[in-house]
Amino acid sequence: MARLSKKDRTQFLLIVGILSWLLPGAGYFVLEEKKRAIIIFITISLTLCAGLYIGSIGVIDLVGPAPLYVKGAQVVNPPIVLVLSHHVAGGAYPVYGWPNEIGQIYTMVSGLLNLLCIVNAVSLAHLRRTEPAGG
Amino acid sequence: MSAIDILVIATFTVPEQIQPNPQAMLWLLPLTAAIAVVYKATKLPKITAGVFLKEAAILFGSIMVFIIITALALYALAWLISV
Repeated sequence: MARLSKKDRTQFLLIVGILSWLLPGAGYFVLEEKKRAIIIFITISLTLCAGLYIGSIGVIDLVGPAPLYVKGAQVVNPPIVLVLSHHVAGGAYPVYGWPNEIGQIYTMVSGLLNLLCIVNAVSLAHLRRTEPAGG
Repeated sequence: MSAIDILVIATFTVPEQIQPNPQAMLWLLPLTAAIAVVYKATKLPKITAGVFLKEAAILFGSIMVFIIITALALYALAWLISV
Protein backbone atom coordinates (compact mmCIF):
# COMPACT_ATOMS: atom_id res chain seq x y z
CA MET A 1 0.00 0.00 0.00
CA ALA A 2 1.41 3.41 -0.95
CA ARG A 3 2.59 5.65 1.88
CA LEU A 4 -0.07 8.20 2.82
CA SER A 5 0.18 11.43 4.79
CA LYS A 6 -1.15 11.39 8.35
CA LYS A 7 -4.29 13.27 7.31
CA ASP A 8 -4.92 10.90 4.41
CA ARG A 9 -4.42 7.88 6.69
CA THR A 10 -6.98 9.19 9.15
CA GLN A 11 -9.41 9.82 6.31
CA PHE A 12 -8.82 6.32 4.96
CA LEU A 13 -9.52 4.75 8.37
CA LEU A 14 -12.65 6.89 8.67
CA ILE A 15 -13.83 5.81 5.22
CA VAL A 16 -13.25 2.13 6.06
CA GLY A 17 -15.23 2.54 9.31
CA ILE A 18 -18.12 4.38 7.70
CA LEU A 19 -18.34 1.93 4.78
CA SER A 20 -18.34 -0.97 7.26
CA TRP A 21 -21.26 0.61 9.06
CA LEU A 22 -23.20 1.46 5.89
CA LEU A 23 -22.91 -2.06 4.47
CA PRO A 24 -21.61 -5.03 6.51
CA GLY A 25 -18.32 -6.23 5.04
CA ALA A 26 -17.79 -3.17 2.80
CA GLY A 27 -14.75 -2.13 4.83
CA TYR A 28 -13.09 -5.47 4.11
CA PHE A 29 -14.01 -5.13 0.44
CA VAL A 30 -12.07 -1.85 0.29
CA LEU A 31 -9.13 -3.68 1.91
CA GLU A 32 -9.36 -6.31 -0.87
CA GLU A 33 -10.50 -9.04 1.52
CA LYS A 34 -13.35 -10.14 -0.73
CA LYS A 35 -14.04 -13.57 0.76
CA ARG A 36 -14.18 -12.09 4.26
CA ALA A 37 -16.46 -9.29 3.02
CA ILE A 38 -18.91 -11.68 1.36
CA ILE A 39 -19.10 -14.01 4.39
CA ILE A 40 -19.69 -11.10 6.77
CA PHE A 41 -22.24 -9.39 4.51
CA ILE A 42 -24.31 -12.56 4.10
CA THR A 43 -24.17 -13.61 7.75
CA ILE A 44 -24.96 -10.23 9.31
CA SER A 45 -27.69 -9.47 6.78
CA LEU A 46 -29.31 -12.86 7.35
CA THR A 47 -29.16 -12.44 11.14
CA LEU A 48 -30.78 -9.00 10.92
CA CYS A 49 -33.44 -10.23 8.48
CA ALA A 50 -34.14 -13.26 10.70
CA GLY A 51 -34.72 -10.95 13.67
CA LEU A 52 -37.07 -8.74 11.64
CA TYR A 53 -38.88 -11.80 10.28
CA ILE A 54 -39.36 -13.43 13.70
CA GLY A 55 -40.45 -10.33 15.59
CA SER A 56 -41.50 -8.05 12.70
CA ILE A 57 -40.04 -4.58 12.16
CA GLY A 58 -41.72 -3.62 15.44
CA VAL A 59 -38.70 -5.01 17.35
CA ILE A 60 -36.66 -2.01 16.18
CA ASP A 61 -37.33 0.34 19.03
CA LEU A 62 -34.89 3.25 19.03
CA VAL A 63 -37.34 5.86 20.31
CA GLY A 64 -39.70 3.73 22.39
CA PRO A 65 -39.51 2.36 25.94
CA ALA A 66 -36.93 -0.39 25.21
CA PRO A 67 -33.92 -0.55 27.55
CA LEU A 68 -30.85 1.48 26.59
CA TYR A 69 -28.73 -1.61 25.93
CA VAL A 70 -31.25 -2.79 23.31
CA LYS A 71 -31.20 0.58 21.55
CA GLY A 72 -27.41 0.77 21.78
CA ALA A 73 -26.95 -2.66 20.20
CA GLN A 74 -29.58 -2.09 17.50
CA VAL A 75 -28.29 1.32 16.43
CA VAL A 76 -24.93 -0.12 15.26
CA ASN A 77 -26.75 -2.15 12.63
CA PRO A 78 -26.60 -0.76 9.07
CA PRO A 79 -28.57 2.51 8.66
CA ILE A 80 -31.61 0.69 7.28
CA VAL A 81 -32.47 0.21 10.96
CA LEU A 82 -32.68 3.99 11.43
CA VAL A 83 -35.15 4.18 8.53
CA LEU A 84 -37.21 1.33 10.00
CA SER A 85 -37.13 3.00 13.41
CA HIS A 86 -38.64 6.13 11.87
CA HIS A 87 -41.45 4.06 10.34
CA VAL A 88 -42.29 2.04 13.46
CA ALA A 89 -42.17 5.00 15.87
CA GLY A 90 -45.43 5.47 17.74
CA GLY A 91 -46.22 1.77 18.09
CA ALA A 92 -47.41 1.21 14.52
CA TYR A 93 -46.26 -2.44 14.61
CA PRO A 94 -46.79 -3.75 18.15
CA VAL A 95 -45.04 -7.00 19.11
CA TYR A 96 -45.06 -8.74 22.49
CA GLY A 97 -43.82 -11.88 24.20
CA TRP A 98 -41.32 -14.34 22.81
CA PRO A 99 -41.35 -13.06 19.21
CA ASN A 100 -40.35 -9.66 20.63
CA GLU A 101 -37.63 -11.17 22.84
CA ILE A 102 -36.14 -13.38 20.13
CA GLY A 103 -36.43 -10.69 17.45
CA GLN A 104 -34.69 -8.18 19.70
CA ILE A 105 -31.91 -10.66 20.52
CA TYR A 106 -31.31 -11.38 16.82
CA THR A 107 -31.24 -7.69 15.85
CA MET A 108 -29.03 -6.84 18.82
CA VAL A 109 -26.55 -9.62 17.98
CA SER A 110 -26.44 -8.56 14.32
CA GLY A 111 -25.68 -5.02 15.47
CA LEU A 112 -22.94 -6.14 17.83
CA LEU A 113 -21.42 -8.40 15.16
CA ASN A 114 -21.48 -5.41 12.81
CA LEU A 115 -19.67 -3.35 15.46
CA LEU A 116 -17.04 -6.10 15.78
CA CYS A 117 -16.53 -6.03 12.01
CA ILE A 118 -16.28 -2.22 11.93
CA VAL A 119 -13.61 -2.22 14.65
CA ASN A 120 -11.76 -5.14 13.05
CA ALA A 121 -11.78 -3.60 9.56
CA VAL A 122 -10.44 -0.28 10.88
CA SER A 123 -7.81 -2.15 12.90
CA LEU A 124 -6.79 -4.15 9.81
CA ALA A 125 -6.52 -0.94 7.76
CA HIS A 126 -4.41 0.64 10.50
CA LEU A 127 -2.07 -2.36 10.72
CA ARG A 128 -1.63 -2.51 6.95
CA ARG A 129 -0.44 1.07 6.75
CA THR A 130 2.09 0.53 9.54
CA GLU A 131 3.49 -2.76 8.21
CA PRO A 132 5.37 -3.38 4.98
CA ALA A 133 3.35 -4.79 2.06
CA GLY A 134 2.64 -8.47 2.58
CA GLY A 135 3.62 -8.22 6.26
CA MET B 1 -45.02 -2.88 -6.71
CA SER B 2 -45.92 -6.49 -7.52
CA ALA B 3 -48.01 -8.83 -5.36
CA ILE B 4 -44.87 -10.84 -4.49
CA ASP B 5 -43.09 -7.68 -3.28
CA ILE B 6 -46.07 -6.80 -1.09
CA LEU B 7 -46.21 -10.34 0.26
CA VAL B 8 -42.50 -10.31 1.15
CA ILE B 9 -42.80 -6.93 2.90
CA ALA B 10 -45.93 -8.11 4.72
CA THR B 11 -44.04 -11.03 6.28
CA PHE B 12 -41.83 -8.49 8.05
CA THR B 13 -44.74 -6.54 9.52
CA VAL B 14 -46.40 -9.39 11.42
CA PRO B 15 -44.51 -11.33 14.13
CA GLU B 16 -44.17 -15.10 13.99
CA GLN B 17 -46.14 -17.24 16.44
CA ILE B 18 -43.61 -18.63 18.94
CA GLN B 19 -44.91 -20.47 21.97
CA PRO B 20 -42.94 -20.33 25.24
CA ASN B 21 -41.94 -23.99 25.22
CA PRO B 22 -38.59 -25.87 25.26
CA GLN B 23 -38.58 -26.10 21.44
CA ALA B 24 -38.29 -22.30 21.29
CA MET B 25 -34.76 -22.72 22.63
CA LEU B 26 -33.79 -24.08 19.21
CA TRP B 27 -33.83 -20.46 17.97
CA LEU B 28 -30.41 -20.11 19.59
CA LEU B 29 -28.86 -22.48 17.01
CA PRO B 30 -28.85 -20.11 14.00
CA LEU B 31 -27.75 -17.27 16.26
CA THR B 32 -24.82 -19.30 17.58
CA ALA B 33 -23.88 -20.27 14.02
CA ALA B 34 -23.92 -16.59 12.96
CA ILE B 35 -21.68 -15.62 15.88
CA ALA B 36 -19.22 -18.44 15.13
CA VAL B 37 -19.08 -17.62 11.40
CA VAL B 38 -18.59 -13.85 11.81
CA TYR B 39 -16.07 -14.25 14.63
CA LYS B 40 -13.96 -16.69 12.63
CA ALA B 41 -14.28 -14.51 9.50
CA THR B 42 -12.72 -11.62 11.43
CA LYS B 43 -10.02 -13.66 13.19
CA LEU B 44 -8.60 -16.07 10.61
CA PRO B 45 -5.49 -14.60 8.93
CA LYS B 46 -6.35 -16.21 5.58
CA ILE B 47 -9.76 -17.55 4.56
CA THR B 48 -9.86 -20.92 2.83
CA ALA B 49 -13.06 -22.97 2.67
CA GLY B 50 -11.77 -26.04 4.52
CA VAL B 51 -10.02 -24.26 7.38
CA PHE B 52 -12.80 -21.71 7.76
CA LEU B 53 -15.59 -24.31 7.95
CA LYS B 54 -13.59 -26.43 10.40
CA GLU B 55 -12.78 -23.50 12.70
CA ALA B 56 -16.36 -22.18 12.61
CA ALA B 57 -17.73 -25.66 13.35
CA ILE B 58 -15.35 -26.08 16.31
CA LEU B 59 -16.38 -22.70 17.74
CA PHE B 60 -20.07 -23.48 17.19
CA GLY B 61 -19.64 -26.80 18.99
CA SER B 62 -17.70 -25.18 21.85
CA ILE B 63 -20.42 -22.58 22.41
CA MET B 64 -23.13 -25.25 22.36
CA VAL B 65 -21.26 -27.48 24.82
CA PHE B 66 -20.74 -24.53 27.17
CA ILE B 67 -24.44 -23.58 26.94
CA ILE B 68 -25.52 -27.17 27.66
CA ILE B 69 -23.14 -27.46 30.64
CA THR B 70 -24.41 -24.14 32.02
CA ALA B 71 -28.03 -25.20 31.52
CA LEU B 72 -27.42 -28.52 33.31
CA ALA B 73 -25.66 -26.77 36.19
CA LEU B 74 -28.51 -24.27 36.59
CA TYR B 75 -31.07 -27.09 36.37
CA ALA B 76 -29.22 -29.04 39.08
CA LEU B 77 -29.02 -25.91 41.25
CA ALA B 78 -32.74 -25.25 40.83
CA TRP B 79 -33.49 -28.90 41.66
CA LEU B 80 -31.32 -28.74 44.82
CA ILE B 81 -33.01 -25.55 46.00
CA SER B 82 -36.53 -26.85 45.37
CA VAL B 83 -35.99 -30.29 47.04
